[in-house]
Amino acid sequence: MSSVNRDTIIAIALLVTCGGLYMATLEIREPDYGQLSPATWPRLIIGIVTLLSTIYLVQSVRRGPTPDEEKIEWSGFTAFFAQWRNVLSVFALFLGYLLILPWVGMLLGGAAFVFLLLSVLGPFSGRDVIIHTTIALLTVGGIWLLFTYGLGVILPRGELTGI
Amino acid sequence: MVVDNLLLAFAEIGNIQTLLLMIVGVGAGLLAGSIPGFTIAMAVVLTLPFTFSMPPAQGLATMISVLVGGLSGGLMSGILTGIPGTPSSVATTFDGFPLARKGEPGFALGLGVWSSFFGGMISAVLLVLFAPQLARIGLEFQPWDFFMLVIFALTVTASLAGQNLVKGLIAGALGLLVRTVGEDEAVGVGRFDFGSDYLLSGFDFIAVLIGLFAFSQLLSDVKGRAAAQHALTDTGNIQVRIEHIRALKELAKRWTVVVRSALIGMFTGILPGAGGSIANILAYDQAKKASKDPDSFGTGNPEGIIAPESSNNAVEGGALTPLMALGIPGDVTAAIMLGALLIHDIVPSPSFISEEPVLAYSIFIAFFVANFIMLGMQSVMLRVFVLVTRIRMYMLAAVILGLASIGVFALNNVADDIWTLFWFGILGFFMRQFGFPLAPMILGVVLGNIAELNLARALAISNDYTLFFTRPWALFFLIIALFSAVFPLFQKARTEGAKWVRFYAPALLTCASLPLMLMGGAVRPGLSLLCLCLAAFLCYKAIKAAGAPA
Repeated sequence: MSSVNRDTIIAIALLVTCGGLYMATLEIREPDYGQLSPATWPRLIIGIVTLLSTIYLVQSVRRGPTPDEEKIEWSGFTAFFAQWRNVLSVFALFLGYLLILPWVGMLLGGAAFVFLLLSVLGPFSGRDVIIHTTIALLTVGGIWLLFTYGLGVILPRGELTGI
Repeated sequence: MVVDNLLLAFAEIGNIQTLLLMIVGVGAGLLAGSIPGFTIAMAVVLTLPFTFSMPPAQGLATMISVLVGGLSGGLMSGILTGIPGTPSSVATTFDGFPLARKGEPGFALGLGVWSSFFGGMISAVLLVLFAPQLARIGLEFQPWDFFMLVIFALTVTASLAGQNLVKGLIAGALGLLVRTVGEDEAVGVGRFDFGSDYLLSGFDFIAVLIGLFAFSQLLSDVKGRAAAQHALTDTGNIQVRIEHIRALKELAKRWTVVVRSALIGMFTGILPGAGGSIANILAYDQAKKASKDPDSFGTGNPEGIIAPESSNNAVEGGALTPLMALGIPGDVTAAIMLGALLIHDIVPSPSFISEEPVLAYSIFIAFFVANFIMLGMQSVMLRVFVLVTRIRMYMLAAVILGLASIGVFALNNVADDIWTLFWFGILGFFMRQFGFPLAPMILGVVLGNIAELNLARALAISNDYTLFFTRPWALFFLIIALFSAVFPLFQKARTEGAKWVRFYAPALLTCASLPLMLMGGAVRPGLSLLCLCLAAFLCYKAIKAAGAPA
């Protein structure tokens, strides 16, 4: 396993994806009309990605792990979470926002998302909570007003809240 | 006819509402440009949802204003704090910051502001002159040529990834693949939908762009906890007055630097994928090489500010030229402009200027007007720029992510587009982390269906595949694509002192002369002969240099 590095894993993942996508192209319906089959263009691109991924794989295996990669050691979930805390928080909060959007609507959901994100990424004291609440309400509320009344766009309303 | 169209375009841009929107746009662009980590492309892409309910000319004028403002905003924070607001202003800090620290911030800012203005104006004039000419050439293009042009655009963009050429090419191909999800535009058959209505309707490409570019950038900016909570600068109140008259006198003395740098910027902009981040360094380097006092560069030489600022503002005129003339964007921001046109059901092509003259002239006029607005607003908003750099990154990220989700929804009134933003934000973040350049992928997404439609058209006309290699324009783009693919190897070999690099340019000229010769007429074969003569001369020089003692 000494020659496995991050690029090797990505190249293998790309090759597996290409295989899966090629299989999916077999499911594409072939109509009786048109000169170019709907599956041809995707297959051509998949072929190119496969070729390039193979080159990438060979290059990464030849290169071996870089000194930086060799230094990286698995130091447990706590360290992993500490390193990627902000990124994971953004993913989780955005996912949560998308899931609650149909229930609470864009105004409340958006303001809650911005407030929570500010509080998770930034400092958290009584004063900060006031600042974060103000920012969330002013920005999301302002844009909601602009879209709803200025541009005439009806933003999603919540089934529970009605706004 | 031209005068009528011009007057109509003036009426489109000259009304109070559009001018106010342009002022807001330039202001927003200037602010965005002054925030390190907030790219111009991100500012333009986030503006897009707000423009969809506007008439096309008004929407595009607003976006052009954000773009022009963004190109100029970076110089303020660069000169006053030493932190370039955008990659386009990196070289400006080399001499701008030292000059400001010498006690001349007003002069440094004046040079930057006026160089930006003249760079933008030169590029606007060249855009007006060249775009219609290029469009006339573009009318000769057939589907085979357009297909090869897209391949060329993707290859050049990938080759600019330098050592990561393979990653760049993979990113470009993945962009093409993303665009195949959903109904095939030619025959309407679903692809890669896996039984899901969401996938069957395809990904909205603006949502993809915002996810790939803005979402992933913001994630990268707040990745580290300390960096997220850190203010960008802690500079105290800066009391500066821009020295306009002195700066103008200096520019008059060094007008050759302005013109040369603007031309470098324009040319870099025309190249697909090459933007202000490359142009400003190239122009700085050329100014240093041409200077009588190269040692003073880096210590506050005025030419060290004039060159990068003239060039980075000229880039967009260059990037808009192929977009308006051929429908092929020159860089990511031009790709977003293409998105804005598509929202209004306008598909740019070689006939765009002749079929939509009022809109085309409106774009030209907006480009000029935005430069004047930028000039006025730089002085007014000077203090705001410095204040903006004190905002903490986590605040910007949280607010922008919230607003981006609303904006993306508003594009089509479809909540699924916010999911697209999310998925492509994650993908873009991981691609950045693993060293895959995003520009080729974005161009792949934008150009994907142009390539497929032209491939389908080409095959509908003829089953002869050799036309992709034998038609003069197709062959021309293929040759340049191949040479640009080898370019990273050429760069590496040049630093290692390999002898074959001396024959790269002659080989390119010789190969390019063949399609030029095949194009017929009088001018192009003449150009072909010129290329051959130049290739022979360069070959002679290379052989002579190879034979010379070391």
